[in-house]
Amino acid sequence: MESTILRAGFRRAITSSYSPAKRRVLIHHHPRRSYATPAEPIRAAAPINFTSDTNQFARSSGGNNNSNSEQDYERLLHRVRIVPASPSYFTATPRYTDDFLYLSSLYRKYQLLPRLAPGTEPRVAWKTLLEYRTESGEPVRQKGYAIMLSLLKRLNKIHTALLPVEVQRALQRYKRRIQPYLNRAKPIEIDQLGRARAVGRRKSSSAVVYIVEGDGECLINGRTLTEYFGRLHDRESAVWALKATQRLDKYNVWSVVKGGGTTGQAEAITLGVAKALLAHEPDLKASLRRAGVITRDIRRVERKKAGKLKARKMPAWVKR
Amino acid sequence: MIIRSLLLRHGRRALPKSTTPSGTLRRRTLTGSPSIQQQEQQQAPKNTLPSEIRDPTDRIAQDFAFFHHQKAHTQHLGTTVASHYRPHELVANPPRPQDITLELLMASQAHIGHATSLWHPANAKYIFGVRGQHDPIHIISLDVTAAYLRRACKIIKGVTARGGLVLFVGTREGQARAVVRAAELSGGCHLFTKWIAGSITNGQQILGACAKKVVDENDVSIPGFGDQLPLTAALKPDLVVCLNPLENYTLLHECGLHNIPTVGIVDTDVNPTWLTYPIPANDDSLRSVQVICGALGRAGEEGQKTRLARARQGIVVRMPSHGLNPPTDGQAERDLEIEERARLAEVAVQEELMIEAEAAAVEHVRQRRAVKDSEAPDAELAELAALEDGGSVEAAMFDRSLKRGQDEDEYDAEEDTLQSYERDRPLSSEELAEALAVDEQSGFDQDEFVSPDDAPERSDRV
Repeated sequence: MESTILRAGFRRAITSSYSPAKRRVLIHHHPRRSYATPAEPIRAAAPINFTSDTNQFARSSGGNNNSNSEQDYERLLHRVRIVPASPSYFTATPRYTDDFLYLSSLYRKYQLLPRLAPGTEPRVAWKTLLEYRTESGEPVRQKGYAIMLSLLKRLNKIHTALLPVEVQRALQRYKRRIQPYLNRAKPIEIDQLGRARAVGRRKSSSAVVYIVEGDGECLINGRTLTEYFGRLHDRESAVWALKATQRLDKYNVWSVVKGGGTTGQAEAITLGVAKALLAHEPDLKASLRRAGVITRDIRRVERKKAGKLKARKMPAWVKR
Repeated sequence: MIIRSLLLRHGRRALPKSTTPSGTLRRRTLTGSPSIQQQEQQQAPKNTLPSEIRDPTDRIAQDFAFFHHQKAHTQHLGTTVASHYRPHELVANPPRPQDITLELLMASQAHIGHATSLWHPANAKYIFGVRGQHDPIHIISLDVTAAYLRRACKIIKGVTARGGLVLFVGTREGQARAVVRAAELSGGCHLFTKWIAGSITNGQQILGACAKKVVDENDVSIPGFGDQLPLTAALKPDLVVCLNPLENYTLLHECGLHNIPTVGIVDTDVNPTWLTYPIPANDDSLRSVQVICGALGRAGEEGQKTRLARARQGIVVRMPSHGLNPPTDGQAERDLEIEERARLAEVAVQEELMIEAEAAAVEHVRQRRAVKDSEAPDAELAELAALEDGGSVEAAMFDRSLKRGQDEDEYDAEEDTLQSYERDRPLSSEELAEALAVDEQSGFDQDEFVSPDDAPERSDRV
């Protein structure tokens, strides 16, 4: 028992003498197991060429690289050191900090360039915080990203005729791949038969409306206006665009409307009629806007909430 | 070219042709021998514009170019202002350690301490005296400041000369630029946001994901350690420079625990024992902080230069063990490949995005144009009305559709011309200056500026 312990200790002592003072690193992988007796044959060290060069051992030899590549690497290891890849290493978010510093340097460099008039700068959908976090792989804070966004917005205000290429490149990095603001509505055109087709929506109804020059006929889902809408108010609002511009007897309306109730359907038709009418007579836009039939009413049914009877209605108060 | 001729017309107005052949010669005879400064000023008009002009037909771009042209040609006129404090220069070109004088420190208000009631008694030896009766403040002894600052400079120089990593920390508002600049000069790290507590004592958790690299004595990155680097311990600075110790007690405490020496500015209300090498000075004045931080950065720069010069001679300081093993077979190639692939992917994305951006920019310009000239619909309407008087509805419709087709053609033509602007776009400052110089010398001749590439296309278009 004692002899085994002694032997093990002895072996360790010899092993350690082969790799003297090797510092322990955090996670250490030995390339191979060490034995008391080395596996490879023992070779004598190369003869020392004594020179006045103080640093002769640290330098790699010029020739015979192939044969002594391991030795070269050993020498290389004496010369190298580990340094941070970025000077922002200690901020724990080096990529974000480097990006921020680059953008602020751009801002400093180009802050005297003329700006676009307020409101005329191109609308841009910037990357969201989540997207940026995923891209950089760093826990970027909301506040930090907000500061960066304000820099980006300022750079985006530089006059288009003078926007430097490097600023454009920098801005491009932070734009979302799909820019919804670049989408343009397809203009409504009049086909060979003189029809203009438009879609109108209100609440949960949607109406497809065709308008053609005629004598004031109106068909909704195959029925006349009076047949389809029992309520006078709905009949009036469906053709309000024509009535407000006094063109009730100049156009024929043919419409398919789906979903929702009567009010929704009537007002969906209103919007469709107005859009189709604009295709025929674009100059009517101002008067149609005054009539209130240009803007889509985006209100929908408000969702019901927990603890309430409807969207907002509170349950009646009970004493106990 | 119409575009350039417009600019040239502006240029003429800005700089009327002189009657004598050489204005510069006359200026020289007036002022005697020209100084270096003057020569620089005479060369200045080379870089008139801080940016390229993308759309030379734009009025604002023309105004801007004209303004800068005039500025470049008139800025050397008038009196020269004697040397004075310009805040940005302290950051861009900070004083070297040998430039530190008591006058400089005094001018940058490094001597002003806090109210006497706020003092820390350990600072007694740095305090020169008390100023004021009603609200007395301490005055810091500037000879001590200068001496301690020089000592700190030597320390930083020594650390960087031996390949050490210096961390500059200044977390107060406005200190960021000085800190970043000092780190840039000394090849160290910067921190201008909050110190994350535990970055030294619990570094692996906080900084474990931050990228590191292996460099040799010439600071050249060496591939082949990509598999080992993530397994090495998080880095620790070899020296910390703290510009506001009062707010960074945690940092200094962590440095103390890990035997990392610290240099810092000690105002009269700071405990100087927090720091290894205090520099008694005013830490509330940005100017004083910039002077001190700049000098320290310059010292680091000198150290780096020394180290690199010695490395070029083959003298290398033996670094403490880093625990790296020789790279395994093919790891270097793998590292390089990963790097190259990332770079190529980025370039590809960047190119794709740029193409989209160009298209978007053209679209934006087109929209702006479209908003400007909105008389087209009126003309169309008038024509339609005329048609409706005569022909049938169908005929009107047909004509209208024809008209629309023409409109589309017109849009295409407009876009074409925009692309031609894009082609002619890089009218850089040099070109502009050159064009203006030619205009000055000889008479105005448009054809001189038409490059041979452009000429046939233009003739096609005309």
